[in-house]
Amino acid sequence: MKTRVVVLACLFAYSVSAQETPKNYTDFPIIVTIQFHALSLPFKNLKGNFKNVGIGIGTEVGHNKKQTWVTQVGVLWYHNKHVGNGFMPHVQTVWRPTVSDDVYTELKAGIGYLLSSRPVNSWKQINGTWEPVGRKGKGMLAIPVGISVGSNTIASNALLSPFVTYQFMLASGYNTSLPVVPATILQTGVRLHQKS
Amino acid sequence: MKISAQTIVVLTLLIGCASQRLVITISPCTTEIYKNNAYSKADDINRALTKLTQSGVPGVTFAMYSSEGWFETSSGFVSLEDKLSMQSCHLQYLQSISKTYMAVALLKLHEQKKLDLNKSITTYLPEKYSRYISDAESITVNMLLNHTSGIPEYNSVPSYVTKLLQQPDYLFTPEDYLAYIEKKPLEFEPGSRYIYRNTNYVILALIADAITGDHAVFISENIFKPLGLHQTFYRNESNYLDYPNLTQTYWDRHSNNILENVSALQRNNVECLIGDDGIVATAHDAVKFLKGLMEGKLLQPETLELMKAWINNRNGKPEYGLGLDYAMLGGHEAWGHSGGGIGAGCQLYYFPEKGLYFFVGINLGTVTDSPIHKQAETALNELYKAMLD
Repeated sequence: MKTRVVVLACLFAYSVSAQETPKNYTDFPIIVTIQFHALSLPFKNLKGNFKNVGIGIGTEVGHNKKQTWVTQVGVLWYHNKHVGNGFMPHVQTVWRPTVSDDVYTELKAGIGYLLSSRPVNSWKQINGTWEPVGRKGKGMLAIPVGISVGSNTIASNALLSPFVTYQFMLASGYNTSLPVVPATILQTGVRLHQKS
Repeated sequence: MKISAQTIVVLTLLIGCASQRLVITISPCTTEIYKNNAYSKADDINRALTKLTQSGVPGVTFAMYSSEGWFETSSGFVSLEDKLSMQSCHLQYLQSISKTYMAVALLKLHEQKKLDLNKSITTYLPEKYSRYISDAESITVNMLLNHTSGIPEYNSVPSYVTKLLQQPDYLFTPEDYLAYIEKKPLEFEPGSRYIYRNTNYVILALIADAITGDHAVFISENIFKPLGLHQTFYRNESNYLDYPNLTQTYWDRHSNNILENVSALQRNNVECLIGDDGIVATAHDAVKFLKGLMEGKLLQPETLELMKAWINNRNGKPEYGLGLDYAMLGGHEAWGHSGGGIGAGCQLYYFPEKGLYFFVGINLGTVTDSPIHKQAETALNELYKAMLD
């Protein structure tokens, strides 16, 4: 754990001193992700972090000339057999210093609304009779925080940026005994900037 | 990388087996029950249990023994999916009531001079386990039994809770549980106060294993068999919870009155627990155990007195003995234990003034809050009143 923190700190420290805007960067790229969701504290139960796959789509807009500050919006969905599937629209502010022309890093944090379903069909007693209510779950406010590493591949009129992201998320109001539950989202994806 | 047809077949079978573990069958059962419809308080008790199931609890089963003899009854469903009625012969999860059985086993070892309650746990506990416990030398066996050890709780550690929910098929070992408290300081000076901690009873089971070879066999030989508890089970075979008469269990995951079937999670969880939990029994067998204990069929009178050496809580009120809880139920003194899990909850108590024993078990989880619990509590109070007044 300590080694991981040191490596990441060095990476970000170096990247602050070497910021360049990637060529062919445009606002509103398409961001496509594949992710794994787990109800877990960060860097715990690592095997379990690779079991519940999902997909996501989003875009971003830059806030400065070098595009080191951007806002990303997107939605993600995951299948989780044991704790229920999830669908989450989210918005995140991203600080994206570049390490070199080809490699960049990200720190991101934001807010989302997690619609989490139940893992199995459920029941509710209505007027003394048990009625099936399907898998309908609960909406919860979520705070995702993440780190990423990616690279830039520049084509003639496009910028392709594959990346991996490790996000830790806290969702509020799971139940009255567990007011906050942790989750991790391990993502890999690509940003496609296409110049018109 | 080539994947052969054989590999695909093997993988398909493995996936098939994994899914199959989650399928749990439940059936009506037919073992002998003691309905005793002539029991003078039968109507009041049945009314209270009906109120309990109308408050949103799927099913409840109840057994009691008093001067009028046995009385058993049930209400609601053992399985909402199959609309099968709960019956007295359905097995219930005893959850933490298992601690009373564990304590009796340790006290039997004490009677057999194989265990000194006042010696440090390091005398008996193998080093591979004691290394996880801070200041283990300063903790006695007696302190584990009455929760005055100061050892921290394992089952409220967030990484344990998330792993349990996210990986319900993972089979925890006792060492896994102890690893969650590794390097954690004691919560207070051993012997200085009382705080209920499940970890104490996991360690007691490991001590009993070290002395007897297998604490589950010892419990079976020294408690189940002498009392004729034929419908009580604890780690007696692999997959010991695969009984067709074991209740289905439900959990209000989001505290909003909606219940989901968590039988697979409950079963896998309980299957791994040792000492602090793990016993399943019919309501009748549970009462028979407590009755046998109080009537001196298991322990010598002076040992039974040790169980009732109550430790006071911070308000100076008696709270816990050795594996026995001191409670006031319906305004009456009661000795026994309660239990709660992700899919079940129960109480097993003896009212010494009344000479009355009862067990009540529900197939709704009680470890996290639900609005159903509040209404259920009202119905429970009516049940105490029906039994005692």
